[in-house]
Amino acid sequence: MTKRLVYLFGIAGHAELSPAMRAVEADGWEIVVPSVPGFDGVAGFQPRDEYLDWLTTFWDSIDATGAVPCPVVGASVGGLFAAELAALRPEAVTGVALLAPFGIADGANPGFNLYGTPGPERMAHLFAKDVPDAFANRFAHLGPEEAPVASYLSDVAAANILWPLGDRGVAKRLHRITAPRLTLWGDLDEVNPVTNAASWGGAEVVAGAGHLLEWDAPDQVSTALITFLDSLDLSSLGR
Amino acid sequence: MKMMWFHLMPYPKLPDDFNTKHHSVWVDIDPALFDRDVMAETYDTYIDQLVYAEDCGFDGICVNEHHNNGYGLMPSPNLIAAILANRTSQAAITVLGNSVALYNPPIRVAEEFAMLDLFSRGRLIAGFPVGTAMDTAHSYSMNPGTLRPRYYEGIDLIMKAWTATESFAFNGRFNQQRHVNPVPRPWQQPHPPVWIPGGGSVETWDYCAANDFVYGALTYYGYKMVRETVAGYWARVAAHGKDDNPHRLAVTQFIGVADTDAEAYKLYREPAEYFFNRSLHVYPGFTDAPGYITEASVRARYKSQVRQVARSKQMKHDLTWDEMVDNGYVVIGGPDTVREQLEEAARELRIGHLCAMLQFGNMNDELTRYNTNLFGEKVAPGLRNLFSEYPDPWWPQNAR
Repeated sequence: MTKRLVYLFGIAGHAELSPAMRAVEADGWEIVVPSVPGFDGVAGFQPRDEYLDWLTTFWDSIDATGAVPCPVVGASVGGLFAAELAALRPEAVTGVALLAPFGIADGANPGFNLYGTPGPERMAHLFAKDVPDAFANRFAHLGPEEAPVASYLSDVAAANILWPLGDRGVAKRLHRITAPRLTLWGDLDEVNPVTNAASWGGAEVVAGAGHLLEWDAPDQVSTALITFLDSLDLSSLGR
Repeated sequence: MKMMWFHLMPYPKLPDDFNTKHHSVWVDIDPALFDRDVMAETYDTYIDQLVYAEDCGFDGICVNEHHNNGYGLMPSPNLIAAILANRTSQAAITVLGNSVALYNPPIRVAEEFAMLDLFSRGRLIAGFPVGTAMDTAHSYSMNPGTLRPRYYEGIDLIMKAWTATESFAFNGRFNQQRHVNPVPRPWQQPHPPVWIPGGGSVETWDYCAANDFVYGALTYYGYKMVRETVAGYWARVAAHGKDDNPHRLAVTQFIGVADTDAEAYKLYREPAEYFFNRSLHVYPGFTDAPGYITEASVRARYKSQVRQVARSKQMKHDLTWDEMVDNGYVVIGGPDTVREQLEEAARELRIGHLCAMLQFGNMNDELTRYNTNLFGEKVAPGLRNLFSEYPDPWWPQNAR
């Protein structure tokens, strides 16, 4: 059986595999990362009219990989769509790992207002530690005029999904998730506070990690992911 | 040139330490700063000033829409315009305007503007701004990525509703209505003149040029800082094969007139400093939202060093009075000095509609009326005939 999973990246887009996901890869897992319009910074991106359009976009991107059914790991915004996939298309998901997923917000504690912050300052609020080079220089190869445009488009895509609080009504669909589930959350998450984990039925809290916890705490996150993924019944994959 | 009196309606009692003790004048301003008695009295005073502007000969009086804002107390400009329509008889009632995407359904704007046009017997100018990021995305939480298509669709719906001769169905991307049939329809036929206030986006220039709408370069930083924006607009007008009639353009300008240049320098310093260094204390994170600016405009912004420098300068909030004057943020002086500067600006930028802001910051009622009266008596007559050789099809049918 091929150990294959789909990885759905977080709010800052996919720069490269995180140290945690590289460890999962080293454990023998093939990691398939769908390409999603907007997050790639490619010119010409048009925001979607409504959330259903984003679900369609993600479904199209995931299905284009030919990887599902399989386990799905989703971080942040990717966690939102991983949860939706598990809830709405349970036949496609044999296990789901969610890293600080968006989708359920608490009006009493909405978290740090990332998009009410100047663009150049946003990235620092996604990590408890220094911003990794992969994100700090993500579009640098495009040059000084086009790099900020690409970065802006990636933000446009994420904001278009999450505006204004990141609540997409997932709480009403959680009961439909029947696949084995792992939920991890950084205790220093500014933008999606760890207090939101209760709405997801609880989470394993990762100490010293911010929102993109797979970068802040690679050892803890990869250990939890590998343990979870290796516990799944791969025979059910049919591959 | 048409001259109009534009009121922002600022709250006049922000504390001296507002810049250092408060986060932002917009979006999350502390509601405890607003005293209800001051608020109520301020509305009375400001409405009276707008009426007084008509008495002083201004061609139009202008109001606009802001939300969660300490220098713009009109979340509903239509309420103020309704009073003005009733208390005036000649001035154009200029609402600049209603942020169409914030109204659900946007047909509400068609209805209320039609009412205003009837109240005023055909003196309404219908303004349709996108609305700032602070108003739309941050205060009203409209998704910035869909704001503009919602806005364009809303205007399309309103224009169809105003001109349709029977009820129709509208099946848009964001709005679906089985029966579009607003009652009333406007006094002006086929519809009131449409003005589009803008901040410099390429799309808005094209939109105005393509649809023959007036472009309103609404700036707080005066005619010198808006040169680049206006040049971009006129270039797009030409690209669309349209004429260069100056009445296609409106520009805002803070103005302070006194008997002498020295007197003006002394009189208008405090209200200008209040406005630029206190009222414009907007947290930079609120001035944009991902998706609010289109990709084309973002690309243009990063390619325009001039605009970047200008923006950083404007954000610093420790402008000196001399900087404000030298940079043209405020045009001040005796009547001749002001007239000469405005004429030079009008000729250079081809400004057919001047939106004069003669009350700003914490300027009191006495000084506001002095300024308004002097402008009306001694400045306006020397400017009125500018561009008189051009027709103005964007002026209300029954305004002076």
